[in-house]
Amino acid sequence: MDEIEARLRGLMLAGLAGQAAPYRQLLDELGGRLRAYYGRRVPPGLDVEDLVQETLIAVHTRRASYDTAQPFTAWAYAIARYKLIDALRRSRAHLRAPAEAAEALFVEPGAEAAMAGRDLSRMLAKLPKRTQALIRDVRIEGLSMREAADKHGMTETAVKVAVHRGLKALGAEYAAAKPREVVDED
Amino acid sequence: MKTDDLIQSLAADLKPVGRGAASRRIALGLGLGAAVSVVLMVLWIGVRPDLAQALKTSMFWMKFAYAGLAALLLALATSRLSRPGARLGGLVVAVALPFVLMGTMAGIRLAMAARDAWHGLIMGASAHNCPWCIFIIGLPLLAGAIWAVRGLAPTRPTLAGLMAGGAAGALATLIYSFHCDETAAPFVAIWYTLGMALVATLGAAVGGRLLRWR
Repeated sequence: MDEIEARLRGLMLAGLAGQAAPYRQLLDELGGRLRAYYGRRVPPGLDVEDLVQETLIAVHTRRASYDTAQPFTAWAYAIARYKLIDALRRSRAHLRAPAEAAEALFVEPGAEAAMAGRDLSRMLAKLPKRTQALIRDVRIEGLSMREAADKHGMTETAVKVAVHRGLKALGAEYAAAKPREVVDED
Repeated sequence: MKTDDLIQSLAADLKPVGRGAASRRIALGLGLGAAVSVVLMVLWIGVRPDLAQALKTSMFWMKFAYAGLAALLLALATSRLSRPGARLGGLVVAVALPFVLMGTMAGIRLAMAARDAWHGLIMGASAHNCPWCIFIIGLPLLAGAIWAVRGLAPTRPTLAGLMAGGAAGALATLIYSFHCDETAAPFVAIWYTLGMALVATLGAAVGGRLLRWR
């Protein structure tokens, strides 16, 4: 543990100083450790890789909160645990079964597939305006992250994080909306 | 997005972070809040007219030291609670120190006074105003403190909100002491402290909601 602490702290200090290579090495190693940590603690239905990515983004965007006089491992662990608790808390709401009509179970086959094409733009409309525009630019128009960042006056990291979260929200929205909308059609 | 790509992109536009960036943010939040609170108090209730004479009395500086020490320690605790994995350690005891000292002074003052003087020593002339004035003056400070902590990474939001509110309340008390002409230790120990506690309670209440992050 002492050896790990010393090594990771060294990488973090280099990262805080702006050195990309050691910082990437740090995120790589953290990613692997987070995957193992969450893999053993996350219930079925929660995506471990999503949680790993969320946590890496938090480590990155909140790196100023690391006090260099304190152990790095304690800092990283506290973020990982906070993210785990947050994910478990949110998943409870997702696991609650929605109240639906009987058609949810006895729906005509094929109705679901018919929905798929029309869904995207309607679901996109539920995201914040800027996130919508970013996803359109990057995923549909084919702009690079850099170009999208310039166009919207944001940093590249902010664009990446917004697109990443937007796509995740879309996925969740899609999963939650599908059964309800099929019922509406009938 | 694959995790490798994410890591690549996070590292690609890495910017250096200065040492003490977190402490600077908390100082900035409280500093801007304090500036607004000072203007608010001066325009609203003003500073005491006899301020020049008051600056020569020990009781003025006793109030100043009480609020100032509490603000400093609570701001330190806030900074600690804004950082994942950092422990409060000895700060838990230290934060209580100004309150214990003030309470002791108040107790001694009451013990030395005759029973029929107690009411005056405790209630002064402004007991019904004092905590509410401190509460109002504390609101801009609380907004500044919550803004600062929100940008860091508190893992115990309610406790962080309580400490941020405490620091805001103590600074509000410090500012209010330039208006208030009460001089009795029991008055200060009760009503000043109650004012701080009001802001701290609001901080804890909003902290549970506003200080969660993703």
